[in-house]
Amino acid sequence: MTWDEVTVQAQLPEVADRISYERVVMNAGTTWDYVPWHFDPEYAKEHGHPTIFVNTMHLAGFIDRIATDFGGPYSRVVRRKVSLLGSIYAGDSMVARGRVTGKRVDASGDAPRYLVDLEISIFNQRDELCCPAEVTLELRG
Amino acid sequence: MVGTRTEPRFAGTAVSGARIQHFASMVRDPNPSYWDVDFARSAWGGLVAPPALLIGLLMPPPWVPNGQPPTASIAVRVPLPGTAIINASNDAEFLLPVVEGDMLSVVEEVGSVSPEKKTRVGTGHFIETLETYYRGDGAVVARCTNSLFRFSPAGDR
Repeated sequence: MTWDEVTVQAQLPEVADRISYERVVMNAGTTWDYVPWHFDPEYAKEHGHPTIFVNTMHLAGFIDRIATDFGGPYSRVVRRKVSLLGSIYAGDSMVARGRVTGKRVDASGDAPRYLVDLEISIFNQRDELCCPAEVTLELRG
Repeated sequence: MVGTRTEPRFAGTAVSGARIQHFASMVRDPNPSYWDVDFARSAWGGLVAPPALLIGLLMPPPWVPNGQPPTASIAVRVPLPGTAIINASNDAEFLLPVVEGDMLSVVEEVGSVSPEKKTRVGTGHFIETLETYYRGDGAVVARCTNSLFRFSPAGDR
């Protein structure tokens, strides 16, 4: 995908990813984030959660995956803003939906940067919005 | 502590291909920038660390042999009663790719601390931190504003 080929308002393909207990535990292990509600179901239940849930890095990684799947291997996430509204628990699915909200050339630096703005939102399998995000992707011109 | 900047906190080891690929495997991201050494070297100068892993690359290991836990994030060190933390939002700008072999450090600053708030998970404070991530040569690779909720869980009495 090149910047010229991007159409503003284009929809990104919906992607669903089922999150098993293995993935949530793997999430703690890969990120070294050992806050107990990412690996200890008893602790999570004692604190009002149905079970363990993924951390911000996993959600952000899924959002980046959606963005660079769209932009291709030469694209790069240069900005990402996420809000954590709900949790994705072991046994849930993460469902990503996104669209292109803008494209622009940043000429403020030494070389022009070809940027695409995306809106990507993660829902759970009950269609509850858990993590809305704004992403800026740099593409080859 | 608002406005206080920390001394740089250094990752214990260089960014490794193993951590890059373990994370990409967890996310199930087939991006060749994480998996194909030849492609990544030609496109970026080496296997790329997923931007989403950046905070994790500066996490201290949960146990160290000298018994002194490495310094945690400044948000955990702000003198407040809450024992639990949960993230609320994160806004990150990635200025340069981080690649295998980079040595990273982070300088943190407390941007703001909210008045006490009651939420469904407990009572506590929102702490906003500003983080600047550096490569070993001094280049800034990322800037990040994070807001987390530090609280006493409703279940703790």
